[in-house]
Parts: sequence; C-alpha cells; structure tokens
Amino acid sequence: MKKHRLCSIIAVWGVATSLHAQDFVLHAYIDERLVAAPDDTSWTRGGFGKTRYGDGKTQFHFGGAAVYGAAQITPELLALAQLQDQTSGHSGLSLLEGWMRYRPVSTTPWRWSVRAGAFFPPVSMENDGVGWTSPWTLSSSAINTWVGEELRAVGGEFVLEHRGELTDWDVRAAVFRRDDPSGTILAMRGWSIGDLVSGIGSRLREPDAPVSAEGGTPPRYYDPFRNIGTSHWGDYAAVDWHAPSETRVSLVYYDNHADPGATAPYANGDQQSAWRTRFWSVGARTDTDAITWIAQAMDGDTTVEPIEDLYRRTHYRAAFVLAGWNRGAWRPALRIEHFSTRKPSNDPDVHKGENGNAVTAALNWRPRDYLRFTAEVLRIDSTATVRAQYGLPEHVIDTQVQVSVRVLY
Amino acid sequence: MKRWGSRLPCLFVWGIAVAAHAGSLTIKTIDNRGHPVSDAVVTIDRANSPTTASTHYIDQKSETFIPYVEVMHPGDSVVFRNSDNTRHHVYSFSPIGAFQFILSPGESSSPVVLNRTGIIALGCNIHDHMIAYLVVTTDQAQVTTQQGQARFDDLPAGHYTVKVWHPQLWPGHPLASSDVDVPPEGAAPELPFTLRLMPDPRSVVDREHLDY
Repeated sequence: MKKHRLCSIIAVWGVATSLHAQDFVLHAYIDERLVAAPDDTSWTRGGFGKTRYGDGKTQFHFGGAAVYGAAQITPELLALAQLQDQTSGHSGLSLLEGWMRYRPVSTTPWRWSVRAGAFFPPVSMENDGVGWTSPWTLSSSAINTWVGEELRAVGGEFVLEHRGELTDWDVRAAVFRRDDPSGTILAMRGWSIGDLVSGIGSRLREPDAPVSAEGGTPPRYYDPFRNIGTSHWGDYAAVDWHAPSETRVSLVYYDNHADPGATAPYANGDQQSAWRTRFWSVGARTDTDAITWIAQAMDGDTTVEPIEDLYRRTHYRAAFVLAGWNRGAWRPALRIEHFSTRKPSNDPDVHKGENGNAVTAALNWRPRDYLRFTAEVLRIDSTATVRAQYGLPEHVIDTQVQVSVRVLY
Repeated sequence: MKRWGSRLPCLFVWGIAVAAHAGSLTIKTIDNRGHPVSDAVVTIDRANSPTTASTHYIDQKSETFIPYVEVMHPGDSVVFRNSDNTRHHVYSFSPIGAFQFILSPGESSSPVVLNRTGIIALGCNIHDHMIAYLVVTTDQAQVTTQQGQARFDDLPAGHYTVKVWHPQLWPGHPLASSDVDVPPEGAAPELPFTLRLMPDPRSVVDREHLDY
C-alpha cells in the first residue's frame, strides 16, 4: 500500500511539474487523513453503511489524489482532463472526465459552445475543486456523492449563453451514451455520503448481502459507465441563471432513456440490468457578505424490468443546505441534508425504502495556498428497510470523524 | 527677445490672477463599512478641455486586466497589451465599441479609436474571470485611487454637479450625485460618497475553485 501511495505521489507531482507551460494549466491534490470510522460496514466494503469508512477503527487512510490539466489548444479550443487515484472502493487510476470544448468568441451578447467527451452532468454546486472535490467539506452531499459515483455523460453538449448588463443565463442540452447502469446503487443500497468519485474504468461494489442471497459470491463489482441493450442516447437539458454576488440558480432534467428490460453479461456470467433513470435537479448558490450559501434538491426515479412486464421502480429524493463562512485562511462549513428512497409495495401498510438526515460540520484551515487541513464530523441518522431484510438493524446512526491534510498544486 | 522680455511679466501676472481664481475639489468614495473604494469614476459637469486625442493602455497581467476601470474621451484610442505568458482573447460586445483581439504573450493590439460615449465592458474569451471597463465621456472625469480619492485641480469657481459611477454599483439605484461650490481660491471641502457595492466580479481562479 505504501509503495502504491508513493508511486501515485510521484506520478501526480511529476505530471504536474513537467507539463507546466504556456497555455497549459495544471493543478493537483493529494490527501492523507486520520479517520475514526463507525461500526456500520461501509458501502465501499460491501455493507449498507452510508459513510465512506465503516469498520469501527481509527486509522490513517490515503484520501486520494488527482491531477487536473487544461490545454488551450487554440483560442477557441480547450482540452480538459482529470485523472484520479484511489485506494478504497474502486482502486487505481481512472479518468474522471476528459473533454474538448469549442467556444468561438462573440461580439454580441450571445455566445455558443459545444463540447464532446466524458463530463459530469451540471448538477453539483459543491464540487468545483481538483478531482471533483468540494472546497467546503471532505464528504460531498448525498446528491453529489451519487452524481460522482454513477453519473457521467459520454457524448456531446451544446451551450447557448446570453450575457446581459447585470445577469447572464445559459441553456444547455446534451446527448450521451454509457450511463445505462445509473440508478443501480440508489435502488440496491440507497444514498450514501462520501467523496469517492468513480472514474471511467473504475468499478462500483454491490452490497454483499443481496449478492449472497441471489446465490452469488461477493464481492461483486459493476461498471457504472457502459451501454446495455440496443443503441440509444440519453439526454439532459439545463438552464442556468447567473447574477451578481456569485448568485446562481440551476435547473436540470436528466433521462438516460435506458431500456429497463435490457441486460448485458458481466462478471462471473451474471447479467447486468439497465436502469431507466430520470430526475429533476435544482440548485442555487449565493454569497451574503462572508457566507456562501448552497442548496440543492433532486427528485427522480429509476426503473428496472427483471421479468417482462414486472417493473420495479425506486423513487428517490434528497436535498441539502450548506453554509460556508469565508474567514480568510479559516473556512468553517455546515451542511444539513435529508434523503429518502421509496419502493412501491403490494402491501400498502408496508413501507419499503429508506429515509434519513445528515449533518456535516467541517473546519477548513488553509495556512498556505498549497496546504489545507480539514476536520470534519459527519453524522447520519437513517432508517432503511433493506437492512432489516438482511438481518441488520433498520435504524442506524453513523458518526464518522476525519482529520485530513491536503497538499494542493 | 526684447518682445518676449516685455511680455513675460504680463504672463506671470495673468497666471497668478488665474491661479487666484482657481480652486480644487477632492472626492472621497467609501463603502458601507467606511473602506475606501477605488476604481470609481467621478465626473463633474464641465466639458473636458479639448486636447489632442490620447492613447490608453490596458495591460493583462496574472490573468487580470490592469487597470480595472479606465476613463477615456471621444477620439481617444486604446491598446491592449499582453504581459502574461499565456494567450488572451480580448473582446467587447458593447454597441459603442465591439472588437476582438487574440494576443500572444508579449503582444499588443492595434489601437482602437472610440468616438462614442458610454461604458464598454471588456472580457477575455479564454479566461471568463477577466473583466474590465472603459468609460468614454465628454465630461472631466477621474478614477478614484486605492485611497478612494479623486482630485480636480484648477477649477474655475462655481457650482458643480459631481456624479460617481462604479462597475459594482447595485442595479436600480440612481447614480450617486451631489452638488458642490468650488471657491475662487483654495480647496472645496472634501466631498464624500458612500457607495453600496456588489462583490467584486473578478473572481480569482484558485486551486479549490476551478473556473472551467
């Protein structure tokens, strides 16, 4: 493990320093942390625990590393890629996003651009740091944890902007492929809260208990970014409004248009199902003096058809409010969120699904531009019927404490 | 020489006479918290003395336009200079002056002559966080310093209307304006303006807030 970590450090800093040149922008981070984990087995280890770490131990962990590179090939053409290295969950190097954007200059208030490649749908208002990290907390909200785990558009996006005297707005539309498994993890496991982002080429672990119940042998992993079934395009559309004081309001509708009856072979001869996943997402952020406010909400459903005409649908909802206090080198942040899933049941008296609340309190201290220390407490109070189904307590309170040191380039 | 010799005392006396009837005016701009506000444009309701058109330079350093706000008069020209080690793509879509220049490191644009009055917002199509303003006016105008001060010298005594504009003024509020009397001699009392400003839109790209 230590050798692997050293290699990743050398790789990250080597790339970051060697490629620094005109019209290239390079940033990177590497993170080491001390974690006091709850007992509930983490989803990264095949459990139903909602925190990234969940083994009841207090020990050091490699938090991750990533390199961000952007090359302005011509004044109109930008190429951008982000690579990450992770050792928990889906280990190894993977591509978080990689795309090219063509954006010609406009001498009118209107400006258009297109980009093609693999990119995040424009849902998150938190994750604008290197490696899709959040500058506010170590753990992303439940919404953005899921976006990081299972959503990536591999396709093209068109953006039309209008730049006004005071406010700007833009509309964007995208078509994409390779996102047919999105929604799997919400239906099987429910929401989680962490900072583990899937890259293209990484794998997500299914909860062990259902795999065993089906006669499989855990651990079982799946590729979250693949096509399943007949060729088709997913799409999303978004409207974004920008105003002074870093104010932004965003509305997104996403639909992967997957065929819920389609399957494709994957590990150990099993069949992986496509999940028809769609959602509405709304987000807003603004600054009031030194406080940055971010709020997001998501409402959607995902459907699978394991047997013809037998549709299993999971409705999911989540929302959070985050307040970050910009006090120079010190930046405290507090996030409160609610999440739920609901699965229709034949018995109206039986509720299937989950609901929970979480509070994340983080204190960031950045004594140098390149150095950040973060102490974070995450408390998740959740009730999930799936846990009771496998003999675990239905109601769990998980508390995870992390102290991280992050070096930024 | 003899003729000049006889006229010099006359010019001297005339100069003293003018100076004796010229005052100065200092404007101080502060924000809600009493901090000085720089880059505010202060205009007085007197036409700028016609002089030859001048050339103004807007530099680009550390992905920032310098200065943030520049006052120009109709007929003046502006040249954009790139002192960064990366390309910039300066543009404006203002109806009073639309243009665009791709500037390599060390390169300067050709001069752009601006003949119409108004405000021109500048941007960089590569770096969206770069913003600057050109204010083209026929009036006498000054930009406030880091100390929030603008000073007009050699003003004839009289009644003046002073207006203050800043790119971060909240919309919907009338332009800050005040009347002042400039005495025949000496300085008028410092004229303070308190401006309620929006946050600075020139976001700095940080490793934790990537602008892409």
